[in-house]
Amino acid sequence: MSEEEGERVRGSGVSGMSELLAVGRYEFRMQARKRSLWLATAVLATVIGVFQGPRGPRYLPADAPAPEVMAGWAMLFGIVVPLAFGMVLADRLIRDRRLGTAPLLESLPVRPGLLLAGKYLGGVAATGLPALLLMLVAGGYETVHRGDPLILGWAVLAFALVMLPGLAFVAGFALTCPLAVSAPLFRVLFVGYWFWGNMLTPDFLPSLTGTLVTPIGDYQASWLSGELALFAGVPGWLNFLRPEPGAGSALLSIALLLLLGLLPLLVTHTVLARRRHAA
Amino acid sequence: MDIQTTGLTRRFGKVTALHSVDLAIPGGMYGLLGANGAGKTTLMRILAGVLPPSGGQVRVGGHDLATGAGRLAVQRRLGYLPQDLGLYPDLSPREFLDYVGLLKGLDDTRARRRQVDELLELVALTEVAGRRMKGFSGGMRRRVGIAQALLGDPALIVVDEPTAGLDPEERVRFRTLLSGLAGNRTVLLSTHIVEDVAQTCQYAAVMAGGRVVYTGMVTELVRVGEGATWEVVTGVGVAPPAGVVVSAISRTDGTHYRVVSPTRPSADAVPVTPSLEDGYVALMQR
Ligand SMILES: Nc1ncnc2c1ncn2[C@@H]1O[C@H](COP(=O)(O)OP(=O)(O)OP(=O)(O)O)[C@@H](O)[C@H]1O
Ligand SMILES: [Mg+2]
Repeated sequence: MSEEEGERVRGSGVSGMSELLAVGRYEFRMQARKRSLWLATAVLATVIGVFQGPRGPRYLPADAPAPEVMAGWAMLFGIVVPLAFGMVLADRLIRDRRLGTAPLLESLPVRPGLLLAGKYLGGVAATGLPALLLMLVAGGYETVHRGDPLILGWAVLAFALVMLPGLAFVAGFALTCPLAVSAPLFRVLFVGYWFWGNMLTPDFLPSLTGTLVTPIGDYQASWLSGELALFAGVPGWLNFLRPEPGAGSALLSIALLLLLGLLPLLVTHTVLARRRHAA
Repeated sequence: MDIQTTGLTRRFGKVTALHSVDLAIPGGMYGLLGANGAGKTTLMRILAGVLPPSGGQVRVGGHDLATGAGRLAVQRRLGYLPQDLGLYPDLSPREFLDYVGLLKGLDDTRARRRQVDELLELVALTEVAGRRMKGFSGGMRRRVGIAQALLGDPALIVVDEPTAGLDPEERVRFRTLLSGLAGNRTVLLSTHIVEDVAQTCQYAAVMAGGRVVYTGMVTELVRVGEGATWEVVTGVGVAPPAGVVVSAISRTDGTHYRVVSPTRPSADAVPVTPSLEDGYVALMQR
């Protein structure tokens, strides 16, 4: 086959879009096949769903508005379920070295940044799916319980606004940090961070709880429900990150979480590229 | 795609894995021989664009591997089987090949699927094509590795010990397959199995300690063993003769040794026709 013919068979491939989708698709598939992902999600969600305190969404009055109920469920799952996601994603990037797939991947005509981006997309999708299913189950339960057919729609919206930005944030860090600190250490640090940065009362210790960069989705839940979800905007450490809850601050929080989640990917990409070129 | 290296050097800290290597590899099947740590894998990783050199130049099919565009152009036409290739345990061979095919830019879904199925057939994995690769035997994994290297009809095939871990029948089948592919392509094969090179390659290079110590025709390499390959018969319990013993067979009349040695190892030693292995061993003795 001549050079030109070879190029034609391969398509243009200039944009790299199909390669990006391929990486995302296969990374998603491999992660979705991890039984631990589903098991941990189911166990954690069941425990927190059954044993939620009296402030939990199950005990909201019968006439509570649907957005408040579903935002409440999203926050409730957000307390523990992302822990499982962080654990599962921690080995996704580093395992290419351990498994020995890295040399092959590096020999393929694909830019390294594209592989990284594909893994990120696959990771977000693979953790987003169980999270979405949890919200649909909770939404189904509430539909029966409260008899409001619109509630499932609010379940999806609460997933997208409250849970998803935080999951993307978690994916960015969980994929890349183990390159620097090893997966087991990352997992320990991550659990500590999750409680410190999401749930610790802000007046107890300086913490990121209740700020715009709280991945549990405090601002978005507060906006949806029209009530203070957890600690959004409560004065404390780094007051400039604690504006009044509302539509604007909720959207700002989403944007910040998405950008912050991309930051470790950018850093990793730069560091790896520099290392590759330094012989 | 021809390969041309000039002054190619690669250091890992204090270890110099490649010492100013000058190689010209034409099309066809080309063997790369050398002891453990000779630098074969390092050379192949550089050719695959996975590892940057510390110094020197590499041109593959006229493309300069030092530039991003050159590397990409080579990688588009490359089939690479790394030594110790790992596979994703949670994918099936069919899925893994599909994934690699997509990353090689085989965008036409139907054509890609057909090619994947053909390759699975070729490496005799059709029966387990849908099974997760977790728990696959060493030979099965190697066959998946060979199949992925052939995806996309590559013009340059770089295979690092492709026959390691295969049973004798499969080994013979694969080296024949590779040499059949070499017609209008370049196939670079590294191996410890001298016989694989003897049976498939017209040209070969021998590396030792990061340097190329021989390049040329395989038949010429055999001739290095001429006048240096001997047969010696000793009584039972007598110490083996001087030189490198390449084989020792006990028979009723004593032990028959095949010895490679630049000088006659003993008065009753008989010169014999060298094989490629003898030539290789004689070269290593220099
Ligand atoms: N990543 C690395 N870091 C440090 N040293 C390395 C690295 N890769 C190779 N080396 C060193 O470079 C030298 C050549 O290694 P290489 O793997 O190229 O040899 P080889 O001929 O492929 O050996 P084998 O037949 O055992 O596969 C060895 O001394 C090895 O220790
Ligand atoms: Mg090697």
